[in-house]
Amino acid sequence: MTVLILTCEEDVTADMVVVHLNASGVPVVRLDPADLPGGVALSGEYVHGAFRGHLQSAGRLVSIAGLRSIWVRRPGAPAARAPQSSGWLTEESSQALYGMLRGSGARWMNHPDAARQARHKPWQLRLAQDCGLPVPATLITTFPQAAREFAERFPDLVVKPVSGAHPQDPPRAVPTSRVAPDTDFSAVAFGPTLLQRRVAKRADIRLTVVGGRMLAARKETPAGADPDAVDVRFAPGDVPWRATEVPPRVAEAVRSYLNRAQLAYGAFDFAEDADGTWWFLECNQSGQFGFVEVETGQPIARAVAEWLARPGPESGDRVDDADASVC
Amino acid sequence: MQPFALNYARPAVELEATTPYAYDGALQLNVLMDGRVAASDLALLRELGTTTSTAGSKTHFDD
Repeated sequence: MTVLILTCEEDVTADMVVVHLNASGVPVVRLDPADLPGGVALSGEYVHGAFRGHLQSAGRLVSIAGLRSIWVRRPGAPAARAPQSSGWLTEESSQALYGMLRGSGARWMNHPDAARQARHKPWQLRLAQDCGLPVPATLITTFPQAAREFAERFPDLVVKPVSGAHPQDPPRAVPTSRVAPDTDFSAVAFGPTLLQRRVAKRADIRLTVVGGRMLAARKETPAGADPDAVDVRFAPGDVPWRATEVPPRVAEAVRSYLNRAQLAYGAFDFAEDADGTWWFLECNQSGQFGFVEVETGQPIARAVAEWLARPGPESGDRVDDADASVC
Repeated sequence: MQPFALNYARPAVELEATTPYAYDGALQLNVLMDGRVAASDLALLRELGTTTSTAGSKTHFDD
């Protein structure tokens, strides 16, 4: 039984997992849907009440029925590199590839339907609340007056994209940014705006969950750090990530979150305040983990490889309580 | 007429141009010029930041 990895070639984080799968002798086929058609080929037939399908990439041929798991890591858009690429061809290729894979019975990390739902940050906030995770006061609005009133109630605010996506024309990043007290909120009318109470944090937390396994890392906020440096991805300094323990109540809530989201993998971001409370910020269903492993030595890639290599059909439960552990 | 959040936008940082490794389709891994597997050199990965959570990349929207 083969592990199928859907990702781009430059994804060196996926390499970290492939190395472990190779060491375990687990067959792997790695391909980028962007190369379909072309470097990637497929065929499937529905005859006499049965389905038989195959994928081919870089000289490897794999039966779709022979897939034990599918890791959707950083795939390109289907047909993006096809000689005659078009929106129509992308849709055709996407339907063919993912349509066949959806019928495979393989275990997914993460299933496309679960992944699509999980990318909605407003939905994340509500689910986190339901699961008992502390969520900073948040407003998503196109009403400037609502934004003004929210700023009166919560004077120390940050703004960040609702979607987590960043504009590409031209390419720009929109980091989580502190909003000045005298800010003019008129432009809120020109796009949904997410405002959130700033957590005066003493550390950032990245909690990576693989199946039932939790691996948490903590990055301390330096004393005297600029309170405007809200987004850890852009904050200056070289404070390293360190492995840390997961509070039992957080672990329980996170487990509930992933079960209800039907996710096998999730990378949670929290802000830890002065009382030690972990405030939920978001859960990235395909969040980056390489940098955490590189700095902490936590065996995240191995955990992903072990989950992917596990035999057995799709159970429906993405988070397996049976092998739950907290690191 | 610009959405409020874009008042806080900054130019995106793209990392792709500086990686000293190339994908080997036979191995299904990225390989350094000396033949070593890039993922085995954690010090290099740390230095390059190619496994880092970033904002603004076209491919890393799920960081």
